[in-house]
Amino acid sequence: MSYKFTQQSNSARSVILQKLKKQVEGADYDKLPAETGFTYPEISFEDQFTHFVQLLRNNQAKVISTSETELMDQVISELKARDISSLLYGADSPYSQLIEQGINQSGEQVELQDYDYQLTDNKDKLFNHTPASITSSNWAIAETGTIVRWPSQNEPRTMSLVPPVHMIIVDANKLYCNFSSLVKDQNWKDNMPTNALLISGPSKTADIQQTLAFGAHGPKELIVFVMNSPTDINL
Amino acid sequence: MSVNQYTPDRTESKYTKSASTFRQNVQRDLANEELRSNFAGAMDYLMDKRKASFPSNDELETLRDQCKLIKQRALVKLPHLLEQLETKLNENGIKVHWAETINDANEIIAQLIESKGGKNIVKGKSMVSEETALNDFLQARDMEILESDMGEYIVQLANEHPSHIIMPAIHQNKKQVADIFAEHIDDFEYTTDVDTLIGEGRRILRDKFSKADVGITGVNFAVAETGTLCLVENEGNGQMSSAVPDMHIAITGIEKVVEYLDDIPPLLSLLTRSATGQAITTYFNMISKPRQPGEKDGPEEVHLVLLDNGRSQAFADEELRQTLQCIRCGACMNHCPVYTRVGGHAYGTVYPGPIGKIISPHQLGLESTKDLPTASSLCGACGEVCPVKIPIPNILLRLRKESVKDTKGGEGELKGAGSNRKATEAAIWKAWSLLHRVPAMYKVSMWFATRFRGLMPSKLGAWTSVRTAPKLAPKTLHERVKARRK
Ligand code: SF4
Repeated sequence: MSYKFTQQSNSARSVILQKLKKQVEGADYDKLPAETGFTYPEISFEDQFTHFVQLLRNNQAKVISTSETELMDQVISELKARDISSLLYGADSPYSQLIEQGINQSGEQVELQDYDYQLTDNKDKLFNHTPASITSSNWAIAETGTIVRWPSQNEPRTMSLVPPVHMIIVDANKLYCNFSSLVKDQNWKDNMPTNALLISGPSKTADIQQTLAFGAHGPKELIVFVMNSPTDINL
Repeated sequence: MSVNQYTPDRTESKYTKSASTFRQNVQRDLANEELRSNFAGAMDYLMDKRKASFPSNDELETLRDQCKLIKQRALVKLPHLLEQLETKLNENGIKVHWAETINDANEIIAQLIESKGGKNIVKGKSMVSEETALNDFLQARDMEILESDMGEYIVQLANEHPSHIIMPAIHQNKKQVADIFAEHIDDFEYTTDVDTLIGEGRRILRDKFSKADVGITGVNFAVAETGTLCLVENEGNGQMSSAVPDMHIAITGIEKVVEYLDDIPPLLSLLTRSATGQAITTYFNMISKPRQPGEKDGPEEVHLVLLDNGRSQAFADEELRQTLQCIRCGACMNHCPVYTRVGGHAYGTVYPGPIGKIISPHQLGLESTKDLPTASSLCGACGEVCPVKIPIPNILLRLRKESVKDTKGGEGELKGAGSNRKATEAAIWKAWSLLHRVPAMYKVSMWFATRFRGLMPSKLGAWTSVRTAPKLAPKTLHERVKARRK
């Protein structure tokens, strides 16, 4: 970085901070008014779950109840329905064994691609030769119909962004009532990952005449497989 | 397939980018019926969506109070939070740069890009980069910078500016968008089908994403406690810009910092519901570090540019400081009867509508923006919907006062204060106030006014263009009361 450039930024820094400090010098933080949040009525876990599924569906996500034994049959049938014969997954990720076994045993011609490359040198591959991906997720949020993902070395962030069809596995036992309780309960502030993602449907836009269109830049379709669902949702 | 070269020269643009010709801009845009119907339709839609997303008034008001206090706390602690944010980001491996002016910010960004040898840049939605006119700056240095938010992309193709801070192309209907595509995209098969139009944008932009060496985005919230940059979006272009290229540069105003991670959930909820009536946007992206060893994607370098550009002036006055509570939801413009009729371009500023009227004077000076605070009926709708309870009408009144006040040129005065002061107007008000303070003078002047009422002109400028001139009574009220008592 050029010397001049850093100097300029440093001097801007001290000018800005000085101006601001002059105004709030001696402010007594203890005198700040109390901030009260809204107390939401208690809702049963089943109702939270139903709400979660409903919101995802309103946002055009496909939600399917699944189990370890059903998952891969369902995944394969979704792929076949779309004429997709290749699936990106992350080796050594929470469901990778299940995925590998499922594909091997099915006898279907589905090629499993591992995200075993650096994106920098493989953009064409990810952008143009990866029609679908499957990832795990960390948590879910009922209030907003949201799935939370902390991308990892094995399941990088672009897996849920670039392929046109994204399949994601959600464990209903990891459903939180709202974002606030999740952040507190999982103590995010002491463990923020490189990147945390909240996903609430397929990519969309209403930028042309307020008309909703899906698949703006990210996935056109989001297929959510729910493990341990407390209620029957395949209706 | 190539998108036609887009020219940085905007002097040819349909929309003048100047607030000093506000009155002419308004005449021009009021006469454009298509524009008016585009805005009317969009604002109705956004108002309905917002309303439906707040079924409980109790919840809404509690949240508004809470978020106002969160932002006010962040502002009282602003210099310390900025330092804390910088320390945390540094620990996380993200570099922080400071800029007082838009030129400094652009210069920093250009040099960062050059240090990477970057040529192809994609940008996610960022109003601050509109504020700095970053596109023009980089294009002048032979860099290709492409807007990737669908609305921004359309606006860029048409060589225009966003007319709304959340929905940049809201002034265009689908037919107009199709015309823009036909003019600027080779081999575009004409259609007004929105899915196909978006598909076309997707195809072109995905190609650009995969080839870009630098991605630029804005920031919705920066968390001091953890050193986290938060991006709110529906399309995925913000993620594309921040995750795919090897360098990510985020640019934001110094007021976007909040203290705790726990402050984020209520702010996020209020932001998306106020903006588009969504419980949450499709994506909420929290970035705390560049790519770590062993990780396979994400940028190797992440930079944050913090811009002042007049914000510290607003900060210096406790009333005007509230302007900085803004979370840029756009609700104030959606509910503004003036904005709905004149549209976003008439203001001639980067930020249109009520928030534009109260922030632009700090960025551009009151001289060129002096008409903006007067372009309000003071109906109060903006203040009522603002999620962080900025008393916009009060601030408008305050700016009106600042623009006509007798300036001493001393320290602490707003840039351009007093520029709307007119000698005759000032003299008239001085006389008026004198008359009302001295009863004898008042009496005499009223006697003269009533006796010579025939001399009052029947045309009183704009007032009588749609009204008849008021008439003075033949006798003063005091005289008539006196007569009755006899
Ligand atoms: S002033 Fe208030 S209503 Fe307007 S954009 Fe800012 S936060 Fe939203």
